[in-house]
Amino acid sequence: MKGSIRLGIALALFAVGACASLAVVYSITKPRIEAQDQIALEASLRDLFPEGEVFEDVSASITSANATVNISSAFLAKRGEASLGLAVKAAGPSYGGQAVLLVGVELNRSIAGVRILELNDTAGLGANAKNPGYYVDKTNKITFPGQFAGKYVTDPFVVKSDVVAITASTITSTALTTIVKAAADAGVLWLENSALAPSTDQGPGASYSGSAASESAPATTGGN
Amino acid sequence: MKSLWKTFKQGIIYENPLLMLMIGLCSALAVTSSVANGLGMGLAMTFVLLFSEIVISVFRKVIPNSVRIPIFIIIIAAFTTMVDLVMKAYFPDLSKSMGVFIPLIVVNCIIMGRVEAFASKQKPLTAIFDALGMGLGYTWVMIAISAVRELLGNGSLAGIPVMPASYQPILFFILPPGGFLVFGLFISFNIWLKGRMEKSAKERA
Repeated sequence: MKGSIRLGIALALFAVGACASLAVVYSITKPRIEAQDQIALEASLRDLFPEGEVFEDVSASITSANATVNISSAFLAKRGEASLGLAVKAAGPSYGGQAVLLVGVELNRSIAGVRILELNDTAGLGANAKNPGYYVDKTNKITFPGQFAGKYVTDPFVVKSDVVAITASTITSTALTTIVKAAADAGVLWLENSALAPSTDQGPGASYSGSAASESAPATTGGN
Repeated sequence: MKSLWKTFKQGIIYENPLLMLMIGLCSALAVTSSVANGLGMGLAMTFVLLFSEIVISVFRKVIPNSVRIPIFIIIIAAFTTMVDLVMKAYFPDLSKSMGVFIPLIVVNCIIMGRVEAFASKQKPLTAIFDALGMGLGYTWVMIAISAVRELLGNGSLAGIPVMPASYQPILFFILPPGGFLVFGLFISFNIWLKGRMEKSAKERA
């Protein structure tokens, strides 16, 4: 009895020591880790919307219609009072686990760009999605995420038809396309709910045919 | 001093954790697809091993024998978490590419094995040399394997392309089977090296 109490005390003492030292390291590194995440996020936001000055956090009001894709946050890019577009951070399953993407949606319901924030797929195969030197279109030097830029949300988003797959990585290609589509849909839904539409002078005009066409007439830039 | 040097050398060649003791293999095969990963994993492992061995060696007389394993795990886990946090704060890219393998250092059998077999019975100074020997022994093998795999499988070294543009990377080497193949060749090389060194030592004697 006495022996086991002594063992318990010894174990507890070591645990307390470990806890205390961990708490110190944690409190030192915590602001730095948060700053790093923030820097990375802001860099990719600015990358999507180079003209954006302020990125307003609208994460609370956006939801995903696709059950497997989880939308963790969304940011409305603004320049002065004018909205430029919505950046949606979405995560979904891919071949090697969770993949996290940042999808930019323009006010005209096209995709401003796609950035891969996290992807743990097989090196040399699925990981080519985030390799800046891997082109799905070699002549025009378009990368896998790069091909989504300019696509309209009303497009079919089908791998091997309007989306070029990464060689020998159909699972990664399909998974990422699903995430992009779900994020873009959610983004467009949010834009419609907030009555944000492109101002007439910079809209795509005749080339655009979507459900939002009728709503694009009043150039509202107010937001909610 | 001579015995310390011998302890150090044990880990590098004669008792190399990967090539001779053959422990801690799963993380070794999984992260060696690029030199940066191999180096980062090796250094992180060495750091955790070094500090765990020092702490356990210092406290070896007050650690009750019957609960020594849980105490070892607490200490190892604490250092691993520290490495994880520091890497996230200062080397976010490296931390991202190593993914799950940093937290897995906790259950890396090299650390458990050295702590149990060595540090819990030896003085701190000897334990430091054992940890450095084992850690660097692990690190050099990690770098060597990842260099071969990255060169053949991706045509680059530490992220810098070195092969001519016409070189078509052999994907096989980046994938797990290639890891096993390269690793097997390293084991046979080390056995050959050990045999030669023993022979020359005998001839000198």
